[in-house]
Amino acid sequence: MTVYETDIPGVGRKFEMDIGGGERVVVVVHHDRRCEVFRRPDPDADSEKLLDLSSDQANKLGSILEGAYFESVDVGSLTVPLGDAIIEWWEVEDGSSFAGRTLAEMNVRAETGVSVIAVQRGDETIANPDPEFEVADGDLLVTVGTRAEQNALEELLG
Amino acid sequence: MAETLLLQAGVMFAAVAAVGVLADRAGVSPIPLYIVAGIAVNEYVAGGAGLPYVHESEFVAVGAELGIVFLLLFLGLEFDLGRLVRERSSLLRAGVADFAVNFAVGLALGWALFGSLRAGVLVAGIVYISSSAVITKTLLDLGWIANPESGPVLGTLVFEDLVIAVYLAVVSAVVLGGGTLAEAAPTVGVAVGFLAVLGVLVAVGEPALARLLDTNSAEYFVLRVVGLTVLVAGAALAVGVSEAVAAFFVGTALGTTEFAHVVEERLTPVKDTFAAVFFFWIGLLTDPAAVVGVLDVLAVAVAVSAPAKVVSGYYGGQAYGLTDRRSLRVGLALVTRGEFSLIIAAAATAAAGTTIPVALANDVYAFAVGYVLVMSVLGTVLMQYSGAVERYLPATG
Repeated sequence: MTVYETDIPGVGRKFEMDIGGGERVVVVVHHDRRCEVFRRPDPDADSEKLLDLSSDQANKLGSILEGAYFESVDVGSLTVPLGDAIIEWWEVEDGSSFAGRTLAEMNVRAETGVSVIAVQRGDETIANPDPEFEVADGDLLVTVGTRAEQNALEELLG
Repeated sequence: MAETLLLQAGVMFAAVAAVGVLADRAGVSPIPLYIVAGIAVNEYVAGGAGLPYVHESEFVAVGAELGIVFLLLFLGLEFDLGRLVRERSSLLRAGVADFAVNFAVGLALGWALFGSLRAGVLVAGIVYISSSAVITKTLLDLGWIANPESGPVLGTLVFEDLVIAVYLAVVSAVVLGGGTLAEAAPTVGVAVGFLAVLGVLVAVGEPALARLLDTNSAEYFVLRVVGLTVLVAGAALAVGVSEAVAAFFVGTALGTTEFAHVVEERLTPVKDTFAAVFFFWIGLLTDPAAVVGVLDVLAVAVAVSAPAKVVSGYYGGQAYGLTDRRSLRVGLALVTRGEFSLIIAAAATAAAGTTIPVALANDVYAFAVGYVLVMSVLGTVLMQYSGAVERYLPATG
């Protein structure tokens, strides 16, 4: 897949790419990062302008095309309502008193009222961890409980 | 005096801003309109009607000079040596054809119409050089920039830029400098010496330039570029070298640094402002009656030189291996003349009464203004309605 790149004096750069069947995509990137996208159906045809994008729009479109675009979600603020109870994600941060201890030792249920329904460690998720499960730095605890119980857990996690 | 000067400057800037709005609405290039704005408020038109008019004050004259300097600075800055090297086989054919046909046509026209070789050389430059600014903008507006015809058009413009830098250096030294070659020799010597020193500085000065420009402050950056450019251009003019050529050299030097795009980004408003002042000043000096006086000459020049560009441009397109239709478009695109033709005209006025008789200089000047007004509009229109012209091509499947 060849990309032809040329300079347009005073304007910016032009990129052309063959996309099969004689069809070509032409992108003009201005010095101010504005982008114009053209399509030329075949070598004899005239180019038709498809898009005129600001630099922000061009960046966003580019990342969508690259498959790199997703709205990242701040897990700390994500809640799932279940009647009174809500599901929360808690990260066991470095140096937390939880690290290296089991759920039974921490007595989470009795102390706060929340249930730990799963633990996420890197790519794996441990569902329904038993009381002897040992928590480590960086684990994400998925817990269910009322707002008040969740707040109590937050204090316990310190 | 100062208060009226400021008011006159205000009228000038307001006038170019106002016609800019018109150009934007109508979707045409503002350059001819800036000239018309200058004509409208000058001593011949507004003054002739008994209204207050804008004088050619030193402020306007120096502002116009700065316009020339910044136009050429940008020409050097955007000078694409890489394109010249990469496309040398096709570009050399297209560029040489463009030069040979149009320079010769211009020389013949000027010599025949004004009866003087000196005028011929000036008209040759005016007729030869197409307008980078207007053509590039129109290519973008019409979407031709994404078509194959943009290659030979932009390539030919780069070639012309190089030729015009040499041309201005030679013309300002020989044609406008001294009477005979022998008289001009010292001037030419100084000019060549100055440009040689400048050339060496361009070649070895990149690290120093990069250090000069290495600042995070936009304010200091702009001031340093303006200071360097105007100082070099002014020094050049003081020793009798074309300030435009000196500015072109500074531009190429800046273009070799990593800051080329930053210069372009931050200095563009400065360039556009003073370039508008330059076009306005051109109009300010233009007596419409003088343009009417050379109307017959103008008609002949347009009738001969417009087809000449189309033919040479068509050949340039063929050199790049384009189809007939696209080659024709290359020719149509290159018809537009603009800023550089006017810079040559300004150089001619500067020499009026020394090496060129005043009457002749005025005629050449009036001719150049009329010619640019016609060709900038005609060229753009030809591009917009190229379909109508393309129909006359023999059908080629």
